[in-house]
Amino acid sequence: MILTGSEIKKQVKKGDIIISPFNDSQVNPNSYNYRISNKLIEFRIKNDRKKTIKINIPKKGYILKPHKTYLASTFEILGSSKYAMSLIGRSSLGRLGLFLQVSANLGHTGSVHRWTLELVCAKPLKVYPHMIIGQISFWKNFGSITHYNEGYSKFNIPTISYLEKERRNHDINRK
Amino acid sequence: MILTGNEILKQVNLNRIVIYPFNKTNLTTNSYDLTLGDKYLRYTSKILDPAKKAKYIIKKIPKSGLILHSGDFILGHSVEKIGSKKFVPIIHAKSSIARLGLFVHVTADLIDIGSIGNITFQLYATLPIKIYPGMLIGQVSFWVPYGKVLLYNGKYQGSVGPKPSQAYKDFNQQNSTMSMTGGRSQPQAIST
Repeated sequence: MILTGSEIKKQVKKGDIIISPFNDSQVNPNSYNYRISNKLIEFRIKNDRKKTIKINIPKKGYILKPHKTYLASTFEILGSSKYAMSLIGRSSLGRLGLFLQVSANLGHTGSVHRWTLELVCAKPLKVYPHMIIGQISFWKNFGSITHYNEGYSKFNIPTISYLEKERRNHDINRK
Repeated sequence: MILTGNEILKQVNLNRIVIYPFNKTNLTTNSYDLTLGDKYLRYTSKILDPAKKAKYIIKKIPKSGLILHSGDFILGHSVEKIGSKKFVPIIHAKSSIARLGLFVHVTADLIDIGSIGNITFQLYATLPIKIYPGMLIGQVSFWVPYGKVLLYNGKYQGSVGPKPSQAYKDFNQQNSTMSMTGGRSQPQAIST
């Protein structure tokens, strides 16, 4: 079952859902609108080598190039030890061609942090620091819960893929 | 909990789910198949700026079909009027469409409870594809909510045809970026 907006609010007050900072006006009928932080990671590819570049999104906005993957993070700390989560885009930005999360929308019960966002746009798109960019929904679990406290859940900044790190270590070891 | 096709039919008959026009043959095991309407919207602004109203054109998809090239992005719409005050709809592509590399939404699949209107499809082609008016393109599933229901009363309510983004409305009171709201009117409470 998906939690309604008023239930999300209730669970935030109870402490079973963490949304910090929490803003009433960002509550939807069955989700909560989250903001992007002010940082992006851009990948530049040269001779099949990927370089990561950190960008501070300026107040006047930053234009994302189409068909490229960027990483960012949520401004809010989001999570729950009781509910499972789905972090997705928002229709106002989907209508402008912005993908949020590249088909990995499931947030595991127990992870509470600033989520890494994967952004891909279909057309050149401007993003602003702290703009509302996506939505998160909360789902009731069925079955006993083993909390997720590994992997990426300890990160609060845009975090590149472990596979990438593993590959790099592998490359170094091979040398 | 997700509704079965049989339950969708039951809830349509009880007027707790709106699907209009409704065609029994479009029911699947866990969803209802949606057809593509004959209008599409293409943005003409070079850079899309969510703080500003984007320029766009609305055209008709010819009966002979419209070719989308890889990387093309347009907005389409469902023929059907969809919504519910009791269940939460989620939009998906038909798997046959996805296998042709066409996205029907851009990671915004969740419909607010109480939102009733044509679905705006966010069509993004990764391969060249021809689309036809009236073709089966997507599906909608319905999910049981938990908690007190506050109905959607936002900027896309009652949509007819493809609706462009109204993100700029969120930026209206923008003096400091942090004062931006969700751009949504306060939901109205109903008893459940």
